[in-house]
Amino acid sequence: MSERNHIDQRIQELLFGSIDGELGAADQHELDKLLASSAEIRDLHEELKAFTGLLDTVPDLEPPKYLKKSIESQVRLPVQSVRHEEKQGFFGTWLPAHWLQTGFAVAAAAVLTIGVYQMGSAPVSPEDANNLAGTIVKSRATAEGELLDSIHIFTDTLNGRVELRNKDDLFSLNVQLDSDGPAQLVVGFAGRGLEFEGISRTQDSKDIVSMVEGSVNVASSGKKRYTINLRSTADAHGQEIAPLELEFFTNHLLVHEAELSISEH
Amino acid sequence: MHKDRDAALVNDCKRGDRRAMSQLVSQYQRPVYNAAYRILGNMDDAADTTQIVFLKVFEHIADYDSRFKFFSWVYRIAINESLNQIKKRRKQEPLVDSQASPWRGPAEELGSSQLSSRVQGALMLLSEDYRTVVVLKHITGCSYLQISEILQLPEKTVKSRLYSARQLMKKTLQHDEDNGVGLL
Repeated sequence: MSERNHIDQRIQELLFGSIDGELGAADQHELDKLLASSAEIRDLHEELKAFTGLLDTVPDLEPPKYLKKSIESQVRLPVQSVRHEEKQGFFGTWLPAHWLQTGFAVAAAAVLTIGVYQMGSAPVSPEDANNLAGTIVKSRATAEGELLDSIHIFTDTLNGRVELRNKDDLFSLNVQLDSDGPAQLVVGFAGRGLEFEGISRTQDSKDIVSMVEGSVNVASSGKKRYTINLRSTADAHGQEIAPLELEFFTNHLLVHEAELSISEH
Repeated sequence: MHKDRDAALVNDCKRGDRRAMSQLVSQYQRPVYNAAYRILGNMDDAADTTQIVFLKVFEHIADYDSRFKFFSWVYRIAINESLNQIKKRRKQEPLVDSQASPWRGPAEELGSSQLSSRVQGALMLLSEDYRTVVVLKHITGCSYLQISEILQLPEKTVKSRLYSARQLMKKTLQHDEDNGVGLL
């Protein structure tokens, strides 16, 4: 190569530009004339093509297997904006506390003729669940089975406990919360091979349930107990399932984050 | 680099859709990891940097302006984070004369392809400015214009850096060739 050092930079830049597919018509025309007139430039062209081809064929390395899961488990998406956009036309953003405390059920019934939705065995699609905002999606099934994991929440505005139980293909989150003002629990289960089965109430409430793809949101106020049921899909069997992600909000602010581990059953 | 699909996924992420987030991670973790590895020359640092890149991307996803290309934004963050890692490493470790200490990266230690190893060795002998343009051109497959957008440099400067960087790499690889270990 060194014997070709005298070939000026301009020509070499044209050659690289041509090899990179970045030459304009005028420059390409100029280079074509040079290539036609000089064997030395043609040789250099071939040499540079081989060199850049070498750089282009450097094999990709496979990222470590844990990397994607690790990233996904740490990413927090803007939940507040979800609520704002998802519920346009329904209830807007966070309902004020007095809405939850008074008259909400009547207003919700006026908007949604669905009322209280009786769940069968079929899972609720995201579309169905979104249409159920303002109601409780009732699920008769509740896993009383093995306790897989549990967490406690102790904050200034929210206290409580969530336990995760499993029986057969049903996973139940038993939630007990006591909040000072409006509270919300967001359960993220995307990519875990789970479907939203429904919610069962264990006491009278006016909670709001909505669903964005891969997560269930339950808004409540005061002391509440309910169970969120998720059903494992057939293709999840035998796979390692990442923990469920839980986010707790009170008065529009994220106050606690937690994970609940799902052991393979 | 599917602009429309990226834009749709980004919008879904802004609405809190974790599945869209997962798709973007799947799509970009490999090029980001490889770009970071080729700049840093270390797999562990590349994995750490990749995590930081995606955490920053999604932390600021609400601020992302969809008039611009998503991949340019991601790669810009990836390059900046990789360069930050180098700066941090310089503070923590004594400087090594790379010319006097031929690079022996993990790919070589693990017996991976000679091509990967030798090209990495030549890359590590380049300055960071030169290494960055070569990585964006040949590892992530960006055009001159895309590189200029990512690095926020005039296209002319990109061209000039690429020219100089590749001349230097060619010399290094030719030197290896002369010593019987080359690829050219």
